[in-house]
Amino acid sequence: MSVRSTLATAAGKSSYWFLHTFLHGGSSLPGKITTAIDPNILKAFGKKYDVVIITGTNGKTLTTALSVRVLKQKYDNVLTNPTGSNMEQGIVTTFITAQKSKRGKTLAILEVDEANVVKVTKYITPIAFVFTNLFRDQMDRYGEIYTTYDKILAGVKLAPEATIIANGDEQIFNSRELPNPIIYYGFNHQLAGDIKAPANTDGLLCPKCNHILHFGFITYANLGDYFCPHCGFRRPTLNYQVNKLTELTPTSSTFEIDHHEYKVMIGGMYNIYNALAAYALGRFLDVSQDQIQTAFEADKKVFGRQEVINVDGKQVTLILVKNPVGLNQVLDMILTDNDPFSFVGLLNANYADGIDTSWIWDGNFEKLKKHAIPAFMTGGERYKDITFRLKVAGVDDPIIEPDLAKVVDKLKTLPTKKVYILATYTAVLQLRKQLAEQGYIKEGMEA
Amino acid sequence: MATYSLHLAHLYGDLLNTYGDVGNILALRYYANLMDTDLTTEVISIEQSFDPDQFDLAFFGGGQDYEQMIVSKDIQTKKDGIVKFINDDKPMLAICGGYQLLGHYYIGADGEKIQGIGALDHYTLSQDHHRFIGDITIKNEQTGETYHGFENHNGKTYTGKSEQPLGVVVDGHGNNGEDHQEGAIYKQTYCSYFHGPILTRNGELAKRMLLKALHNKYPDADFSAQEALEIKPTF
Repeated sequence: MSVRSTLATAAGKSSYWFLHTFLHGGSSLPGKITTAIDPNILKAFGKKYDVVIITGTNGKTLTTALSVRVLKQKYDNVLTNPTGSNMEQGIVTTFITAQKSKRGKTLAILEVDEANVVKVTKYITPIAFVFTNLFRDQMDRYGEIYTTYDKILAGVKLAPEATIIANGDEQIFNSRELPNPIIYYGFNHQLAGDIKAPANTDGLLCPKCNHILHFGFITYANLGDYFCPHCGFRRPTLNYQVNKLTELTPTSSTFEIDHHEYKVMIGGMYNIYNALAAYALGRFLDVSQDQIQTAFEADKKVFGRQEVINVDGKQVTLILVKNPVGLNQVLDMILTDNDPFSFVGLLNANYADGIDTSWIWDGNFEKLKKHAIPAFMTGGERYKDITFRLKVAGVDDPIIEPDLAKVVDKLKTLPTKKVYILATYTAVLQLRKQLAEQGYIKEGMEA
Repeated sequence: MATYSLHLAHLYGDLLNTYGDVGNILALRYYANLMDTDLTTEVISIEQSFDPDQFDLAFFGGGQDYEQMIVSKDIQTKKDGIVKFINDDKPMLAICGGYQLLGHYYIGADGEKIQGIGALDHYTLSQDHHRFIGDITIKNEQTGETYHGFENHNGKTYTGKSEQPLGVVVDGHGNNGEDHQEGAIYKQTYCSYFHGPILTRNGELAKRMLLKALHNKYPDADFSAQEALEIKPTF
């Protein structure tokens, strides 16, 4: 490390300590101070670590968390960045605040925002990339899936020898010729037929000939065993595959990868993809199947974008929703619950939520009516939008409570022991604040 | 079973479906049910033919640049059918990319001119690295109705003499940020940059389209009950 880099690190460290101590924050500001001093700071860190970059629209956080667990089975030191710190500055902060390792190179598993991949690979050459998926996000962010993939590939181009570990069920990851070695993971848990995706799905054009893709089967959204009846383009051979779904509940998933059974304590098909991605990375780095099983099952704590809170005996599950594909996966997940539950939808439209609420119309709330849900409640700043969305889906009389301060009281009046709350980012923050003030949880946003 | 039924063509619904555009169809179905009418829908996509006589309503949404480019080539083969549908006074709603493709042309992301079908007399230019994004309110001066929505578009559209605006901009940018107009109306074709989607917040427009389609299909029926349907505010 150059004198300049060392100085830069010291400056970054003291600001992190200050923020952490006094403001209970400290995610990206230290990085800003450091990179202002030495723009090549990442280069110095890159020499000390074997780096893996995890990117994609959904599932980055959980894939990263699971990958760290898996790789800790083999490596003594695995560095990672905390949730939400997935832009350039946050990544610099991660390296600065890392404990010094006594032995040689250690592993760093970094969750990197799609547009920030190139900002990292400009300085650091990773040994591998993990691609989760590319869905249309809220469009006020990066726009199209094609543009987003170009942004990722701009970063990959600087590391042509790094192995790409990609979701093989996602067509776009098979759409370009790249010099990199590529490993694919995906699902092969059912017999293949010949179906088309529902009309309201994106990314359905064959990347080779621009005809509509067909599927042997679809796991969710546009993911699955795709093929083009026109030109023969099809899903690549999978190196690692989920071959069986044993049991799916809202709080756990049991499945087989390469004929070995695994269980993760979180529900949702999308989280099985995340586990599969972590498995693929683990196998690539020579972690054994048994070690991976130990890693998945070692820590039973629930993680991800959901949290279970006890509110006077009610089991309230608070789930963050942010885009249509994620929303639809969450709806599928809660409907695997065999117990009766109440449904609460909280919608805000601040910048962090996405200022356009149109995406709720891509959520398939209609399927809620096929289950006997005893009570619905709506709230948040845009309660009118979510209320009418549910009304169109056939929910006639939800309890409407715009004021999140009063939502906690209303929760207690719901007729079921279980309650699922789907909420946008700032609605989660506001509700957690209320829950904290009333002593149901401790303050602070959990991952 | 409802007394009446209407069939809607969802033009390129599998390729152009951004920003919850499908909510427009859900809203049409919702209001149709309140009007004793079943609404069935059918996606008409690339390499499929469009027979205007099979449909009572049409919806044409917006998409990503890439998909829109593919559609711009295919839609030339459906031009005659779409023009006939419009000239038969059948109601159609076109949003964003659909709006642009009904006109003469628009300018793509890389500055290339992308052909529409010229069924309506407007054209669309682009802005450099800028979009009109945000809440928008417009007022239709003929009906006195106020429409609320969310606009999100790079295109700047200029309407022709045969088109009326969907509304005058009260708050927001509208077609091009210059002439204070938003959207276009030609015969029974309604065009707009509103996503959000437009019909979920503006049920009056959904009702207008459905009534027109019902009168077209059932010229002798009495729709006074449907005319009397009260549209409750949703926004």
